[in-house]
Amino acid sequence: MQNIVTSTERVSTILSGQKVDRVPFWPFILGFCARNVGYPIGTIYSDPEKSFWAQLWTQEQYGYDGYPIYGYASYGSWEFGGQVKLPSSEWEQAPSIVQFPVDSEDGVDRLKLPHLEKAGMLPLAMAFSKISQEAGIPTSTVVLGGPFTISGNLCKVEMLCRWMRKKPELTHSVLRLATEHIVDVVRRWTSTFGIEHFMPQIWEPLASNQIISPKQFETFVLPYHKEVHERILDIGVEHILCHICGEQNLNLPYWAQIPMGDPGIVSFGHEVELSTAMKYFGDTCIIAGNIQPALIQQGTRDQVYEQCRIAIEKAKYSPRGFILMAGCEVPPMAPPHNLYMMKQAIDDFGWYS
Amino acid sequence: MVSEKRTQELIRGLQEAVLGFDEEAAVELSKAALEEGVEPYDAIMQGLAVGMDKAGELYDKKEYFVPELLLCSDALYAGLGILQSHVEFAETKAKGQVVIGVVEGDIHDIGKNLVKVMFVAAGWTVHDLGRDVQLSRFTEEQARTGSDIVAISALTTTTMLAMQEAVKIVKARTPGIPVMVGGAPLTWEIATLYRADGYAPNAVGAVLEADRLLKKT
Repeated sequence: MQNIVTSTERVSTILSGQKVDRVPFWPFILGFCARNVGYPIGTIYSDPEKSFWAQLWTQEQYGYDGYPIYGYASYGSWEFGGQVKLPSSEWEQAPSIVQFPVDSEDGVDRLKLPHLEKAGMLPLAMAFSKISQEAGIPTSTVVLGGPFTISGNLCKVEMLCRWMRKKPELTHSVLRLATEHIVDVVRRWTSTFGIEHFMPQIWEPLASNQIISPKQFETFVLPYHKEVHERILDIGVEHILCHICGEQNLNLPYWAQIPMGDPGIVSFGHEVELSTAMKYFGDTCIIAGNIQPALIQQGTRDQVYEQCRIAIEKAKYSPRGFILMAGCEVPPMAPPHNLYMMKQAIDDFGWYS
Repeated sequence: MVSEKRTQELIRGLQEAVLGFDEEAAVELSKAALEEGVEPYDAIMQGLAVGMDKAGELYDKKEYFVPELLLCSDALYAGLGILQSHVEFAETKAKGQVVIGVVEGDIHDIGKNLVKVMFVAAGWTVHDLGRDVQLSRFTEEQARTGSDIVAISALTTTTMLAMQEAVKIVKARTPGIPVMVGGAPLTWEIATLYRADGYAPNAVGAVLEADRLLKKT
């Protein structure tokens, strides 16, 4: 267990603003861990006990840093009354939405804030956090989505997109509920575990420029994110991990206006150059990223090693620190050796003199 | 008999209806075109489809994004709903036929739906298999329809692997049929690794890529 304690301490140390011995390597890894220990991928989401230990054992095996996490990108749908399906076939890697809570304009008025103890994945997430606490992990981290992505999970992103132009008031109604819900969950977790032991993860893949314009980001994402982050930090949470997923370059000037904590962690995909990320966030946040998941899955060991080397050397001296991370979830089907090569790159290039 | 001037007026109106995502105008102008004797095929291809083409150009220039493309497609389909049944021998005038779908295990279809509308606007006949499409269905549908091209979409790294298998199956059954792929995690390099014949990074590029593949066959 000593290695695990050291690994979790490394992230805690960088969060506290102290110098670390080397660049932390926190892969962003879920389904891979289940397969690694012989569990079906779905257990990462359905079984808190198996999920936690699969992640911890995999971390011990590969020697990487960070904390086990719980959550997925479709968060919000089940919690607000929709249905999700766990990954079961060989081609599925995460829960997917089979029924959205809102299927028409009328559905927006029927939306209600979820019951925090019973709704959707929340009981599973709470069980996961308790197991994590009992195992001595200092910080519980749960994926809460972001206001815009949750909204897209409530009413299908195509509907949300149409409303943004034709019926913006409906979009704002859904965003308001998503915002309140995120704050409610943070309150519940901090009152259960203490403000110093919780780091919310906010994911916003639907806010990428692959879907919306920077102008639409400014109108529909920025104000809600600012509010949700400010309210989370007002509760006393010190650090937010914000996964700024996908092509978000045109949104970065707006993201830079959103407080993340002191420091926060902002993670990026390969679409955002680390030098660009450092320009916008380097003084206030730990930069994390940005190894392309498709490369981790399809690339050779040398290609993966090289991309990690480049990332480490670019961002190692970012003012508030750098964490080597996949740009999005490490693919569950990635060759295990490629994860090993990411750790090799850290061992070869990640140490601070 | 409708004058050339009025024909052009109606056609321009249809373009603007699509570009301005005005479904009502698209319907009204489509009805007017029919009533006044404009050739329905011309109203579709020079009016609605050109409007969608222009929307694609604005998307390329990053002036339109997905919300705008979706609304433009709504206007396009609203007009097509009036005009399409009046086009004679529709399939003989089709540029080509394409089978399209999101691969097994993947339910993200927003990209595929935008690609579909661009194909429709460009005059292709589209056989849409939907999402979470079993791997063998792509080649089965190609065989059933005699389609010229198979287009497969995937949004996750895991379903990319399913896509690789789907390409293999199509190639094994009909080696001469071009397969094109697309989706957020894809790159040209990965498409080549999968032995796909074509790749497009977005909906607008997909039709150009299909045109290129069609010329080669």
